[in-house]
Amino acid sequence: MTASLLEVNDLCISRAGHEVVSGVSFALQPGSDTAVIGPNGAGKSTLVQALVGLLPHQGGTIRLLGHTLPRSGRLPREVRDQVAYLPQKLLLDGRFPLSVSEFVRLGCSPCCNHRKAVPAALERLQVSHLRRRLLSELSGGELQRVLLAFCTVHPRKLLVFDEPRTGLDPQAAVQLQELLQQLRLQEGLTILQITHDLSMVRRSSDWVLCLNRALCCQGPPEHTLSREELERLYGRDYVLYEHSHHH
Amino acid sequence: MAPELISSLSLWQEPFMQRALIGGVISGILGGWVGSIAVLRQLSFFAEALGQASLLGISLALLLGLSPPVLLWPFALGFAWLLRELLKRSSLSADALLSLMCSGALALSVVLLSSLPGARLSLQQLLFGDILGIAWADLLPLTLLLVVTLAYGVTSRRAQILISVDPVLARSRGVAVETHRLILLGLLALVVAASIKAVGVLLISGFVVIPACVARLLSRSFNVYVLLAAAIGALSAVVGLFGSAVFNQPSGPMVVLVQALLFVVALLAGRWVGQTTTAASVDRAR
Repeated sequence: MTASLLEVNDLCISRAGHEVVSGVSFALQPGSDTAVIGPNGAGKSTLVQALVGLLPHQGGTIRLLGHTLPRSGRLPREVRDQVAYLPQKLLLDGRFPLSVSEFVRLGCSPCCNHRKAVPAALERLQVSHLRRRLLSELSGGELQRVLLAFCTVHPRKLLVFDEPRTGLDPQAAVQLQELLQQLRLQEGLTILQITHDLSMVRRSSDWVLCLNRALCCQGPPEHTLSREELERLYGRDYVLYEHSHHH
Repeated sequence: MAPELISSLSLWQEPFMQRALIGGVISGILGGWVGSIAVLRQLSFFAEALGQASLLGISLALLLGLSPPVLLWPFALGFAWLLRELLKRSSLSADALLSLMCSGALALSVVLLSSLPGARLSLQQLLFGDILGIAWADLLPLTLLLVVTLAYGVTSRRAQILISVDPVLARSRGVAVETHRLILLGLLALVVAASIKAVGVLLISGFVVIPACVARLLSRSFNVYVLLAAAIGALSAVVGLFGSAVFNQPSGPMVVLVQALLFVVALLAGRWVGQTTTAASVDRAR
């Protein structure tokens, strides 16, 4: 059996004195695509931010790439270089004076040869033609591809996304997912993403974590996205909506 | 016009003009760099509040019988720290709190200044600056501040960009966001305090913010933006000082007026550059 890339045991996270995530345990296998689903306020963003060292945790253990994370949450340098995290939305304002190639170069580690790595990453994500454009001029789909280039300009093992398809039209969302799958297969990347797009989860993910402060269930989509499990996670109304939406 | 021009050219041989020129250029570079980052972080109003609070620092120094520059730098640092803590802890919005602090500091400083017995102080010099009054002794701390600021600017370039793009993304890449925010506020406070003599309390925020706004209209990369902001800061100090000598006008307003004119030019040029770039992009895409 392959060693897990990430092992989480009985994880508890509190914010402002309130427990937001409690007793969460799961493992990510190398090369897997795992989706975190759950209603708003379920602690999904808090969970993934703790996993990548952006938030402290108060209980349990996180073992990432063979290193046990300190409770303070700060990742050791050798782990941080192998993990990329993208927040839900960038706080870019209009006419931010930063070109696409300048931005992607910031994703390079000190040892990487940016003259080769940046054009290669832009080529891989099919955004070479955008290299001179300002980051703030890109459409939602273009920006997501550039962000992926930023994440993968340096070889990584784990990509963590917080709702990467928010604000994208259906076509751009599908294209982004195809690119993610391509990267996963070509470079052996492991993907962990928060999403509300259950049809995409059904098609692409091979493991699902159903979170509502605690893990309600986990497993492959065919088991976790059953009517009963979704009703337990979201409540009856959501399941009725999702059911009528797809038929 | 010609005799005034010749007499103003001969003025450049005077030591006070040379000191003003050096001081103006250094302040311009400092204001340009710190302003370029402050504008990206939406700290423009913070610079305004610091500028007006500096008048309180000067008033307190006079009240205590100290030389204003001795108290101004630590006062500006302390006020910046106080503002940051209040912004973190208060439920008021940032603009309301800064407006409150700004007006409070200004009101208190005017009361203190008017109650000073026999204070020989020109309010116009305080409000609009006295760049010609820069002494050699003022240039040493300015130069030191320039060296420290530029060294920090070069070494923290990646961190500054990532924090400006998104603080959470920056933290995920190992950037010490809070430390860099604190250092930037400290530098902003020191640059404001150091430039008060050149442009005065009322115009200091424009002096720091306008070069960055001009550069932003003309730049399509971060490096160009920062360098252009610093260059515009320095250039406007030289041109403003020259205009001040030719037209016999106060130097601070002339410097800021030159910056404002450059902004209008950049606005027009930026539209033209934008149209050209868009057309070129469309051509390339075809």
